[in-house]
Amino acid sequence: MELRVIDKTDDELRLEIAGEDHTFMNVLKGVLLELEAVSAATYDVNPEQSGGQTDPVLSIKTAGGADPLDVLADAADRVEGQTDAFRDAFAAAA
Amino acid sequence: MMIPVRCFTCGKVISEYYEEFDARAREGDEDPAAVLDDLGVTRHCCRRMMVSHTDLVDVVSPYQ
Amino acid sequence: MSAEFDVEFIERDDRSARFLVRGLTPAFANGIRRAMIADVPTLSIDTVRFIENSSVMFDEMIALRLGLIPLTTPLADYEIGETVTVALDVEGPATAYSGDLTTSDGLVEPADKNIPIIKLNQGQRLEFEADAVLDRGKEHAKHQGGVSVGYRHLQRVEVIGDRGEFDEEEPHILRGVIETEDGELVATDEFDNDLTNRYPGKEVSVTDVPGAFVFHVETDGSLSVEELVDRAAESIGDRAAELKDAVSV
Repeated sequence: MELRVIDKTDDELRLEIAGEDHTFMNVLKGVLLELEAVSAATYDVNPEQSGGQTDPVLSIKTAGGADPLDVLADAADRVEGQTDAFRDAFAAAA
Repeated sequence: MMIPVRCFTCGKVISEYYEEFDARAREGDEDPAAVLDDLGVTRHCCRRMMVSHTDLVDVVSPYQ
Repeated sequence: MSAEFDVEFIERDDRSARFLVRGLTPAFANGIRRAMIADVPTLSIDTVRFIENSSVMFDEMIALRLGLIPLTTPLADYEIGETVTVALDVEGPATAYSGDLTTSDGLVEPADKNIPIIKLNQGQRLEFEADAVLDRGKEHAKHQGGVSVGYRHLQRVEVIGDRGEFDEEEPHILRGVIETEDGELVATDEFDNDLTNRYPGKEVSVTDVPGAFVFHVETDGSLSVEELVDRAAESIGDRAAELKDAVSV
């Protein structure tokens, strides 16, 4: 996973996440949108065949003065927490 | 020529069951639908692989 | 968002399972589904060195068939890109089956033993050595561990009254799993997928239960259902951890 910051201001971030696809990006976006500090979050991927930018670009806009990088770290932490909780629940039922 | 290893659509391994299907439903006189149910080939994508296949290896095997 | 999940198995077999998960977001459910298909690696034959092939099929055709044979994959022992050597030597008249394959690792073997590779006549022979490589479904569909992996919403069926006296009895087809008013989980094939069989003469309402997904997972035998689901969730978790580390520096 290689990251490249395209744009960064106090409340906005555009970040390219190389090597990822909808599998992870959509989960991440879903969690970002549930955060209080996020006013907008989306990602954009072009298909392999398009020949241009094919790595996903994540865009985050925060509210209330939160740093978008901190918000992103928080969201990634929550995704990790969710997968751990899911694995535990699944192992318990299996 | 030979039955495809997997179902084209879903990827289930179906060639496992072809010889039995052939013996029971083609050579034998059992109902093909009942044989497929019995073999666990339940999806219609997998069933068409079996029903529509004709083995041609024996036809071509004398030629090299 | 509370990470409270509740998992309940509805059907379970060697290679397939149906289970209900409550508390999932649609994004997360789809993430797991996609990870099961494209991100959990399995071993599959990738390079074949033919020593003798006097069968009626070309080398390439046989190599393609070999790639599709599922091999049991001990994921703890292999990293992506690592290989196992597989060999076969069959002389006609006979059919070469997947069960005739020998491998360099006892834990790796064909998951199905009865797959015909090629039928050999008198004087025909197939001998080769091959490398099976661990890779992901993203790279090639032969590395896909899950077969027909999917999910549906859990549907709640409630009786809201009697069917009108002169209404036509029409079939009400549902697929998947329903939750009844008593909280009982019933697979729709138990009543032939037609709600009028279960609630004759009643008018019912069907609603999706939010956050409840019924997964249907079937594997080709290279992994168990439990391992496939666990590894899929793990792969998403690993990526999240990697992103967290990269961002927090």
